[in-house]
Amino acid sequence: MSDMALKQEDVRGEPPVNLWRDAWYRLKQNRMALTSLVIILALAFIAVFGPWLTPYDFLSQDLIARNQPPTWAHPFGTDELGRDVLSRVIYGTRTAFIVAISVTAVATLIGIVLGALAGYFGGLFDRFVMWFTDMTMSVPQLLLVVVINASLKPPLARWMEAQYLETLNPIYRNSIIIDFVLVFGSMALITWPPYARLVRAQVLSVRNRPYVTAARALGLSTPVIIARYIVPNALGPLIVAVSAGLGTAMVLESAFSFLGIGVNPPMPSWGNMIADGLRVWRNYPHLLLAPAMMLALATVAFSFLGDGLNDALNPKGQK
Amino acid sequence: MAGEKPQEPLLNVRDLSIEVATRNGPARIVDGISLTVDKGETLGVVGESGCGKSLTMLSLLGLLPNKISVIGGSAIFKGRDLLAMPHRELRKVRGGEIGFVFQDPMTSLNPVVRIGQQVMEPLLYHRNMSRAEARKRAGELLKLVGIPGAEERLDNYPHELSGGMRQRVMIAIGLACDPALLIADEPTTALDVTIQAQIVDIVKELRAKLGMSIVWITHDLALIAGLVDRVVVLYAGTVVEDAPVDVLYENPAHPYTRGLLASIPRLKDEGAEKLSSIGGTPPEPGRRPAGCAFAPRCPIARAECERAAPALEPLKGGGPHRVACFAAGEIAEAVA
Repeated sequence: MSDMALKQEDVRGEPPVNLWRDAWYRLKQNRMALTSLVIILALAFIAVFGPWLTPYDFLSQDLIARNQPPTWAHPFGTDELGRDVLSRVIYGTRTAFIVAISVTAVATLIGIVLGALAGYFGGLFDRFVMWFTDMTMSVPQLLLVVVINASLKPPLARWMEAQYLETLNPIYRNSIIIDFVLVFGSMALITWPPYARLVRAQVLSVRNRPYVTAARALGLSTPVIIARYIVPNALGPLIVAVSAGLGTAMVLESAFSFLGIGVNPPMPSWGNMIADGLRVWRNYPHLLLAPAMMLALATVAFSFLGDGLNDALNPKGQK
Repeated sequence: MAGEKPQEPLLNVRDLSIEVATRNGPARIVDGISLTVDKGETLGVVGESGCGKSLTMLSLLGLLPNKISVIGGSAIFKGRDLLAMPHRELRKVRGGEIGFVFQDPMTSLNPVVRIGQQVMEPLLYHRNMSRAEARKRAGELLKLVGIPGAEERLDNYPHELSGGMRQRVMIAIGLACDPALLIADEPTTALDVTIQAQIVDIVKELRAKLGMSIVWITHDLALIAGLVDRVVVLYAGTVVEDAPVDVLYENPAHPYTRGLLASIPRLKDEGAEKLSSIGGTPPEPGRRPAGCAFAPRCPIARAECERAAPALEPLKGGGPHRVACFAAGEIAEAVA
């Protein structure tokens, strides 16, 4: 019994060490990941407090000062309508974050629910879900978004108009809402399959671990077992996927806005700003550079953070 | 220690058979096992790996893995058949009336949940306790199983505890709801020898305090000698011998049991160069011989052993000692 007393000594007094604390410790050692985290937090700050940070309104035009190169008054210059590019980039950050977070949240949620249920119950349900997953992944993303947009936009617009006529609430005349709902919706509907696959694979391996059998031997109900014993133990890799997925969602949003099927002007998005800038980049490169740099910065940061998290959460894979 | 004879046993398993679905059709893993556990009795279930000891116990609680299913028999526990019970009721028995302690404490605790919460889980579910009550009780339970600084340990994660401590936590979880029966599935196999003895001592203490019945599954006959009242020896999915522990050790009547006992190393055997073992391996499920399953490895097998399987019958002179061997009487005489 004396060795037990010893063990007790050296554990007591220390704060409980857990996976997240360990992971955070390892993440701190990774300079790239830490820098990325700082960049992401800075961008998030800009996104959240954008309206208070912008020097100008993102819509206000100054037709006398069009296409100006960067000056002290307009650090990123002005665009072809004389709008302040810095303000627009800041609002673009807002758009990018709103879209990325909502899309990833919805997609992850769909992925967790479908993946966990498919993995846990298996059988016909599993086959059906995986069949549906494969089918969704096999259709080109762009095509799917165009189809979803084209088929959902008219009925949604009609419904909004009907609501407006009924209630006269101006919120229903706001086309930005339609854009966002459609962009979120269609993007979430095409990005969930990888999450579902990942969660399913994890659940398949966790499902047969002894502590799950032990939980069943305690008489715990299936929902409790799935929610408390299986899903939390299956989420490690998902965190990495979500971090990378946020970056991907930003690129996707920009791509769609670039093509004109995402967020529509005058709402600024990095994608539609890049599209606008691309037409005149020989003469006014700053119009392309500003949003493109932001997009690149955000994407690279999320990607490196994802890598860092991967190493931090799976220390065995290192070196 | 043993319960009074005439009363109804706490658990009465009759002719339990379990099959696994394989590519070549169903293969029988457990073939008509019958055993009883009296109130307050500790039963040792002994046998080599793969003889069906764990599956027998898992099947009682409906915890068999996929593709393995019970195909016959009954298991009367407190007057109700566990094998025929609706799932909802069975869940109340699990953890509530029958506690289970698993083999490997390193993997049988949820790594992302604090141990306090894991001990509280059955209390919250089966006893409808408030969180505060359950937490208090969890602290008492950890103290009961001899964990130093029990209160503080409630907030530890499993990986902060040693294997022996974790197995104590598992026992605390198994006993949380004062079950009438504790099934321990090789609870010491994954532990150091010194810790094994500690766990056995703790279970003995708890049994004295709480008076529950215990089924202790193991392949280590030596370890449980001082713990159990009676031993059931399984071989290839059948019971080959069932006897009070002292009788079994002094007078093993089945050649397999004798082999098991002989294979326990002893310091006294100075002359012996090699450790004694039983030659061969148990037959695979689905490929069991027509006669006695042990015949191919049996040192005293004879012609009749290959034709028919011997039934489990009381040894000459009656009593609680039962053996499934044609030669049982002769062996018993020879030893005596």
